[in-house]
Amino acid sequence: MSSVALDRVSKQYGATTVIDGLSLAIDAGEFVVFLGPSGCGKSTLLRMIAGLESVDGGEVRIGERRVDHLPPGERGVAMVFQNYALYPHMSVRENMAFGLKNARIPADEIDRRIAAAAESLEIAPLLDRKSTQLSGGQQQRVAIARAIVKEPELFLLDEPLSNLDAALRMRTRLEIAQLHQRLGTTMIFVTHDQVEAMTLADRIVVLKGGQIEQVGTPMDIYLTPRTEFVATFVGSPKINLLPVTVSATDGVARAQLANGTEIDTAVPAEGLPAGMMTLGLRPECVRPAPLDSAALHAKVQVVERLGERTLLHVALDDGTLLVAEDAGLSSIRTGDRIGLRIAPERAHLFDADGIGHQPARRG
Amino acid sequence: MADAFSEPTAPIPVALPRKRRGDWTNALFVLPYLIVFVAMIAVPLGWGMWLSTTKSDLFGTEGFVGLANFTRLLGDPIFLETVWNTFYFVLLTVPALAVIGLALALVLNREARWAAVLRTIFFASTVLSVTVVTLVWRLVFLPDSGLLSVVTRALGGTPVAFLNSETLAMPAIAITTIWWCIGLPMVLFLAALQQVPRSLYEAAALDHASRWRTLTRITLPAIRRTFALVLIIEVILQFQLFGQPQLMTLGGPNNATRPIVLFIYETGWRQWELGYASAAAQMLFAMILIAAMAQYWLSSRKEAR
Amino acid sequence: MRFGRTHPIALTLIVVAAVLMMVPLVWVLALSFKANAALMADTNSVFHVPYTLANYRTLFGDGQVFRWIMNSLIVSLGMTAGVLILSSLAGYGFARLDFPGRPVLFVIVLLGLAVPEQAVIIARHQMLSLVSMHNTYAALILPGLSAPFGVFLMTQYFRAIPRDIDEAALLDGASRFKVFWKVLLPLTVPAQATLGIFTFLSAWNDYWWPLISATNKQMFTLTVGIASTQMNFAQTEGLGFLMAQAVLAGLPILIVYLFFQKYIVQAVAGAAGR
Repeated sequence: MSSVALDRVSKQYGATTVIDGLSLAIDAGEFVVFLGPSGCGKSTLLRMIAGLESVDGGEVRIGERRVDHLPPGERGVAMVFQNYALYPHMSVRENMAFGLKNARIPADEIDRRIAAAAESLEIAPLLDRKSTQLSGGQQQRVAIARAIVKEPELFLLDEPLSNLDAALRMRTRLEIAQLHQRLGTTMIFVTHDQVEAMTLADRIVVLKGGQIEQVGTPMDIYLTPRTEFVATFVGSPKINLLPVTVSATDGVARAQLANGTEIDTAVPAEGLPAGMMTLGLRPECVRPAPLDSAALHAKVQVVERLGERTLLHVALDDGTLLVAEDAGLSSIRTGDRIGLRIAPERAHLFDADGIGHQPARRG
Repeated sequence: MADAFSEPTAPIPVALPRKRRGDWTNALFVLPYLIVFVAMIAVPLGWGMWLSTTKSDLFGTEGFVGLANFTRLLGDPIFLETVWNTFYFVLLTVPALAVIGLALALVLNREARWAAVLRTIFFASTVLSVTVVTLVWRLVFLPDSGLLSVVTRALGGTPVAFLNSETLAMPAIAITTIWWCIGLPMVLFLAALQQVPRSLYEAAALDHASRWRTLTRITLPAIRRTFALVLIIEVILQFQLFGQPQLMTLGGPNNATRPIVLFIYETGWRQWELGYASAAAQMLFAMILIAAMAQYWLSSRKEAR
Repeated sequence: MRFGRTHPIALTLIVVAAVLMMVPLVWVLALSFKANAALMADTNSVFHVPYTLANYRTLFGDGQVFRWIMNSLIVSLGMTAGVLILSSLAGYGFARLDFPGRPVLFVIVLLGLAVPEQAVIIARHQMLSLVSMHNTYAALILPGLSAPFGVFLMTQYFRAIPRDIDEAALLDGASRFKVFWKVLLPLTVPAQATLGIFTFLSAWNDYWWPLISATNKQMFTLTVGIASTQMNFAQTEGLGFLMAQAVLAGLPILIVYLFFQKYIVQAVAGAAGR
């Protein structure tokens, strides 16, 4: 397994710059997820590492080797494609053997590797079937097996779960996590699904418009989003964003809503820019409270009962809409007037440029 | 763990030269074909155009004569007659091929066994070569002992010698050609008919449309583009009429069935006037192009309406 | 597909038409089984016995027809193989690889589709005369290899294959040729079948070019051979024999057609649609 280093890589399509001077260091054995909306460049970046797209500027290293000028077959990289890309006219075994034959690996070694991979992915009975005769889930496993047998330094996965149905997706997600534990190979996984990112990644790289928004562990990303974009992209339902004016009180910022309500935060007051800011509150930090003791009052418009929790879509007195959360067995109904309390240590502030200012962390 | 925001301490590395995808070695794949293309299409095309401006015969090229061949063609009564004959032939065959082909396709567009058998029969003639077809049909049109004469006599009439008649020879060739070529239009129309979504017919049925209505208001408009396509294809094909008159009537009687291509053949390989023949060939090329473009323009105008 | 009953008039008409389509062929078949002398006396004798195989015996004894069939086979198979190879390579190149001038070159090839045989045949003949190549198999095969239709068809077909299969193969260390040969080409079998059948049929039935290039009787293709004997019949003397030739020329193709009907129809229709 190898580390991966990207040093100010860039790429243009004609006049448009799709990746702009991006740098990233990935440790050997890490599971990194490239997360972002469509068009953010995550797949392009992955393909640049694989060698399927050219690198117009900067360097790509895998391990100690500089690889950005090498053809895909010489980089020691294996890839699992979104549409599996199995060779249709070949059997499963031949699919898996193709790359090994090209690398001139002796036949008995090829057989050994295929048998081992087939067993660990439970596809041994399928080995002699044509790849077109398999179900979607089976094809996905074969695609993964084909990558494993190459014993690569780096595993690349390009939205491999997108074409699977929900049940299969969860199961395969688990298997990929177990695979990583077993093999320990460095893995880069591309997805637009934040659940996949949160559950699988050692670190997440959030991308937007060809640039990195934030790199961090899932919990880092979730608890301390560096930008407004990251805060809204990760977390379901989406974080509540409210325009506020900020004043300093006892060294911490105090946010004032348009209707005058004041909310305490744990964000240090010093260094805060002047002007309007945006207050970010995740729904799970906005909880129902008795009317008389709560700072915020709201009317419940829609109640969504999910079983393990209840989402309350509420409107404040001035019409601002919020999503709050209550326990699964909540007895609140549509039309109720409730009070809301905010956990100040979970409040985020974002300035006019979208940069987040983080609450001071305890401990 | 380095993060994405450390200050660059070294100059931005330049991408190393790698096998650029716009590699000329990729061209090696298309090279073999391109060589043949140049040798057999590009060069002969240019050569032919040049030849048409020369006076050439069996003994060699005598020299550049500019457009003299073309002016001579335009004043050559035989050539002009071949042009007329060709147009006449196209008029005889193309509408018939399109309409009959469409009629066959409409009737045979079903899954029944008998329809499949009939489709096979109607397409079979298309796989025969022109020489077999002309042999067969000479037998039919033979003055005394041909099939047509035998049948006419059996029905009590007097047999007509089609191929020897100035007025009837071309229609006879037209009939031969329609028999030979009907398969292609039929198949093209069948394909188009099968593309018409069933839901259109179902909607029409719910609207209580009669069979005729369904045909004229639903089916025919849906295959309009294919109809135009068939016309273009057949015009181009039939403009190139050659084998049938060459073998059946030798271009006669009295030039009545001589088409442009036969003129080219005889001028080139019987009289060995290569320059003159080339000029005729260029004119045919131009005519085909114009006909095809006119067709295309007409049908795309109709589409826009 | 239409369902429901066909109008009885339409049905009758079409059956009559089908019979009419077959009658000329049946006539020729019948004639081939009559002795020449009998036919010369009275053609109506075709309706009566005796029937004979004499014409076929003469035909088989002569051997010339078999020479023609052999020539046609060599030329048709050669051209088919050549077209399949050249068009597949070029199709892959145009569809998947980048090289300087690719779009321009492709347009030029496409323009080649508009060029009719008549515009180039005189010059082709001259060219091959200059190098004394007439009356060879090569001369008969070469012009047919330049047909742009094959390149066009294969390029479209290669384009339709998802690119990630190429990419998977590249990541598996395959060279461009290996991607072509081992991965993509096997996926083009339907297109190869269509193109192959169409080319074979065109080559087999080609008339004008073999007529002027293979002037030596030994080099005649079947199509030209049948034409040559036709020229010689002004009288009905050899009528039965002539018909036997026609049957021998037409029947095998018709039988092949009956077996491969689906492919042949598809090939011809696809070519016309281009």
